[in-house]
Amino acid sequence: MAHAESAGRSWQRPRAPRQRHSGRARRLAATLANYQSGGLLIALLVMGAVFTSTSGNFLTHRNLTVILLQVSIVGLVAIPQAMLVLSGYVDLSVGSVSVLAVAVFGEMARVDHQSLAVSIAIALAVGAGWGLMNGILISYLNFSPIIVTLGGFAGARGVADTITHDVTQFGFGDKFAYLGNGTILSLPVPAVIFLGLFLVGAYIWYEMPVGRHMTAIGADKTSARALGVSVKLIPCVLYVCSGIAAAAGGLILTSELDGASPSIGIGLELQVLTAVLLGGVAFAGGRGSLWGVLFGILFIGVLNNGLILLNIGPYVVNLAVGAVLIAAAGADAFYQRLESIPVAAAEPRGQAAEPSHEGTR
Amino acid sequence: MSERPVVLEVEGVTKRFGAVTALYDVSLQLRSGEVLGIIGDNGAGKSTLVGVVSGALKPDEGRIVVDGVVRSFTDPAEARAVGIETVFQNLALVPTLNIAENVYLRRERLGPGVAAKALRRLYKSAMRREAREAFDRFGVTLPPVRTKVSALSGGQRQAVAITRAVLWGSHIVIMDEPAAALGVKQTELVLSLVERLKSHGVAIVFISHNMQHVLRVADRIAVFRLGEKIADFDVREQTTGTDLVALMTGATSGDLGSTRLLS
Repeated sequence: MAHAESAGRSWQRPRAPRQRHSGRARRLAATLANYQSGGLLIALLVMGAVFTSTSGNFLTHRNLTVILLQVSIVGLVAIPQAMLVLSGYVDLSVGSVSVLAVAVFGEMARVDHQSLAVSIAIALAVGAGWGLMNGILISYLNFSPIIVTLGGFAGARGVADTITHDVTQFGFGDKFAYLGNGTILSLPVPAVIFLGLFLVGAYIWYEMPVGRHMTAIGADKTSARALGVSVKLIPCVLYVCSGIAAAAGGLILTSELDGASPSIGIGLELQVLTAVLLGGVAFAGGRGSLWGVLFGILFIGVLNNGLILLNIGPYVVNLAVGAVLIAAAGADAFYQRLESIPVAAAEPRGQAAEPSHEGTR
Repeated sequence: MSERPVVLEVEGVTKRFGAVTALYDVSLQLRSGEVLGIIGDNGAGKSTLVGVVSGALKPDEGRIVVDGVVRSFTDPAEARAVGIETVFQNLALVPTLNIAENVYLRRERLGPGVAAKALRRLYKSAMRREAREAFDRFGVTLPPVRTKVSALSGGQRQAVAITRAVLWGSHIVIMDEPAAALGVKQTELVLSLVERLKSHGVAIVFISHNMQHVLRVADRIAVFRLGEKIADFDVREQTTGTDLVALMTGATSGDLGSTRLLS
């Protein structure tokens, strides 16, 4: 106890000069040192350098565009998922909700001959509706997040199969094809959607009160409630966003393939969760960085791409992602230890000379 | 001291839980810039009193008067709205947020400028500056305001929670066992903060069963036993901790010695 106290005081002593020097550089250094996202960014750059030197095809405009396109759908769904995990929740139903939305879209557009806009709107509404159901059950009725969304994982795909009878609808036309295959300023449309939503997500995460509220709910729900944080509404809204993102991801993939395949979204929830956890969002909630999640998404994308360029089989990719995730868990434990070390280590020299009068100056 | 305005009055409050009477006909007065120490053994009714005044519990009889206006609270937010802040034992701090973020949690400043406000953008620099200024004003020395609360000691956390309560505009602060489970130095941090708040005109209800702490910071002490207030006296008139222990445990009925009593 006394140790911790004196260490705290040793910090405040150099306080004034510290604040004068505080700048972007110091903050960046602190971010790199303190968070998993920093280590991940460095690993990402190192990996990029290795692939650049071993394959002439890696660092080309075309290949980087392909990587961005490949990570867009996982990235899109990962943004609300990261916020849910930060708040101490999880959504395992995203893959199945995406196929359900796609199934409804296929039926609307091809069987009922609805217009494209109506079909898309209904598909997104299906995602939102499933998310709302998750949100109400989990947030307001206190059902277990894992069990409810695991139920959705099985259930939504079941509903989708019932609708499609395992038939793939296709031929949605050129306008719809633009969603997955078009470009804006030479960037693929899905990448533009993902990056745009990432910026919105980062604003919410870092610049708005609700970002702090999510952290508070994930870290200590009782305190958050006592302070008046909307501990029920925020997670509920996030589940709705997660459902909409899942539906949107499914629609983009449908557009890329020009087919509402019943196999859409298989394994999506695990890819998304891997990216979120790799990015350093604590599974227990209360801690994490959306930039880290972006690095996690890119890391998996670059790893996939690079190993394929080097002609290394897809099994190795899975192995590598698994290994990296476990390594990240280790790194996280290590960083948390590091965070607690300065408290014990920074022993002030003149500690005994100045007893007890903390406040008086 | 006695010219100062009365900011909080508890009048004849009784609170029952089923057949158990947790508080019986309790009356208290608190003036601005005054520290009222409340002591009593376990089950004396201290926590129930905190609950009633902070708005968490509804009294069965009696009333609460804040700044001369009779109030009836249905939840703690209403008590907070009229300037009563309670620092509970768990402190309601989020360990993974930093000091400034905790101080402004749920009361975030937006800005600067109209556009930033419309976009609900956090005014981070202003919040950090104001938090720093508040700590300076009350003489609390803490690590930089960007330090995560998880890195703070127990006393520093207590200081953050108390300063937050005052910064949020409350002029009545209720502290429930603020120095329980703290080391000597950290206790000192908290007690000296209480003294400085007092000099800034904040009215404080200081609940503790540590006699030394209460005797040091309190201007008046109310002794509770079995749900009743059995003594209420000026610290300058009352003498030793021994007398207080005697009152708390019931060894002294209250009619003895120099103790000045309210019925």
